[in-house]
Amino acid sequence: MTLKKKPARADICIIGAGASGATAARALSEAGMSVAGLERGPWRTRETFGGDELANINRYNLWPDPLLNPRTTRASKNDKARVELFCPVPQMVGGGTVHWQGWLPRFTPEDFRLRTIAGEVKGATLADWPVSYDELEPYYSRIEWAFGVSGEAGANKFEGPRSQNYPCPPLPISRYAEKFRKGCAALGWNSFPTPQAALSRSFNGRKPTVISAFAQQHGDPTGTRSSALNVFIPDAVKTGRFDLRPGCYVRELTLDGAGKIKSAIYEDGDGDLIEQEAGAFILACGAVETARLMLLSKSGRFPNGLANGSDLVGRNVTFHEYSAAVGLFDDPIYAWAGGGYVSASSFQFYNHDPNRGHVSGGHIACAGVGIPLPINWRLPDAPAWGAAAKKNDRDNFNHSMAVAMVLHDMPQHDNRVDLDDEVKDAWGLPVARVTLTPHENDLKQGRFLIDRAGEILDAAGSRRVQKVYAERITGNCSHQHGTARMGDDPATSVLNRWCRAHEVDNLYAVDGSPFPTGTGANPTLTIMANAWRVAEKIVERRGSGR
Amino acid sequence: MSDEVFFSAHQRATVEAAMARIIPSDDLPGAREAGAVDFVDRYLSGIAFIYAKPDGSGFETLTGRQADAWRQRIAILRQTYASGIGALDALAQKLFQANFIALNERQQDDTLTVFDRSGSQSASAGGAPGEGPALQQTLTETELEFLPLLVMHTRQGFYADPIYGGNKDRAGWRAIGFPGPASLMEVYTGRYSALQWFARGEAERYLEANRDA
Repeated sequence: MTLKKKPARADICIIGAGASGATAARALSEAGMSVAGLERGPWRTRETFGGDELANINRYNLWPDPLLNPRTTRASKNDKARVELFCPVPQMVGGGTVHWQGWLPRFTPEDFRLRTIAGEVKGATLADWPVSYDELEPYYSRIEWAFGVSGEAGANKFEGPRSQNYPCPPLPISRYAEKFRKGCAALGWNSFPTPQAALSRSFNGRKPTVISAFAQQHGDPTGTRSSALNVFIPDAVKTGRFDLRPGCYVRELTLDGAGKIKSAIYEDGDGDLIEQEAGAFILACGAVETARLMLLSKSGRFPNGLANGSDLVGRNVTFHEYSAAVGLFDDPIYAWAGGGYVSASSFQFYNHDPNRGHVSGGHIACAGVGIPLPINWRLPDAPAWGAAAKKNDRDNFNHSMAVAMVLHDMPQHDNRVDLDDEVKDAWGLPVARVTLTPHENDLKQGRFLIDRAGEILDAAGSRRVQKVYAERITGNCSHQHGTARMGDDPATSVLNRWCRAHEVDNLYAVDGSPFPTGTGANPTLTIMANAWRVAEKIVERRGSGR
Repeated sequence: MSDEVFFSAHQRATVEAAMARIIPSDDLPGAREAGAVDFVDRYLSGIAFIYAKPDGSGFETLTGRQADAWRQRIAILRQTYASGIGALDALAQKLFQANFIALNERQQDDTLTVFDRSGSQSASAGGAPGEGPALQQTLTETELEFLPLLVMHTRQGFYADPIYGGNKDRAGWRAIGFPGPASLMEVYTGRYSALQWFARGEAERYLEANRDA
């Protein structure tokens, strides 16, 4: 490895070109700043995506290959960590939005002040956010309109006030959504069309989304779903000020004499080391990899990792958990149609209610069973092989659906991401090690939500309901938050309210890592809204000479 | 690593026979008729058939670290198969004094049942539920023991897109009523739509609303 010619200094260097990095790149480049984007993965185009369940779900075509990018996990610091592909996210331009089905609910106003509402939770590090729903609201609207989100304003009666309607009406109603709506209606519970990053009509020169079966966990060959890859990346590139370099893996950030970040050192596709200097650096690698990069960047000033004098980097990590009640129906419901996640939700048990005996709640929604395509569909207690297994597939494939939850897991000081001391990735760097034990509240809340999910299926006329409770946090949502929480007090947070490190003046993080709490909803809309908010502050700060 | 095959004749016959018990034929074709063994034999033949091109026009050529990882993975899987087939025969010999392929179907089922109980992983370890709701694959294929690996590959050979060599005549899709696309090209071009399997009237409503799009 040799040191190649240095690229020009940029105003801003963004590391990671997924949902948050692409949002920041767009906002900053449109405001006139020069932006260098360093993405470790490839820059794939829609021509490389297809309707191939085997490749996309089972053979790591989009998921990280665990032989190249392993992680390790353990329950506590006394356990030996084992290699596991914990909470993976596609590592490529567009990140998780490349293969998502794009559920984009807003967080509720309560989410930003849960510590105040629910009080102290023993063993947890619950915290209010330093920003409010009202501060984020204009950015929610902006993202919804940029992505052409399909939804129905006001339908979720637990949502905060909104300044604008959704740009597109809800997507068509699947048969499994119909069941969900029927069940909720029978119980007197509010339900609403899940806001989705797909176009239900022509929008901004883009055609309506093709309703395929290959959506959840598939890239979109038609380019009609909305993602960072096909919305914000082209917007940013169009400015002429966004220099996006795929295949560039940042190994560490270096400091200058004044304690600010001087440069990012990355390995390019040829294996050469390159140094990128910039005025400010934005981490957008996802909460796990952002924490890892900070911990990899050790220096005399920060022997325990960049901006980590507080020993908080990597701590308070939350991952949600996805589990479901699964129901069988006599009539066919084709819960693979549309990809299995179109589209009905309820926030009936989302906000905190002290009468429930646990803190907070989560998003409940209809879905296919797992990835509801032939290879990966399977009922919770189905036999694995033999005549009975085949009969189960034949009888139930078109007759099964899930009502699933997004668990709001509690942040805890000892739940953390750090560096594994043995396992290295294919580039020779220590991998992220996840240490995680669920909080008692996580298990209680999970049981409660799954019980409600089962009731929805019952009320919808399911002939058989199986409830699968979450017994541990497995990272199966690919949602990750909290490893560099934001707050006003440097003793209890890594970043300030503008997601700038308390300890390093030109370091920002804009993915899920600043989230003080994970909430019970899909995080990407809020991640993008927050990234835009932070980017505007960076522009404003530069304008004022600070 | 040539010719789209890896197994010896005996290995192939054994795997095919076991797959035929994992997804048996009934009034509809099973794994044998769907060519699941062709699917796995070609998979293990090297790294030339890992990813179909998304338009179905052939297979991707892997390079660099990705190719290295797949070579490593295939080598591990070959080893799992080679030793697993040997162990299956050894068990068949112990129980019925004959190799697995010489047994009748009931004896084969019994052998697989005993084999299943002797493993440290559940037979469904490669395919999820049974133990919980899998939203996604967090498993690592290389860590599977022989039977869960074989079960997973049988399902893949029965249900994956026919371009991978199994699911012949869409036998797997027909068995469960999945109206999959006629070809990968149908999805690639956006011609494949699942709207007609939405709620009654929705397809018509959506198409009408977007008539001019």
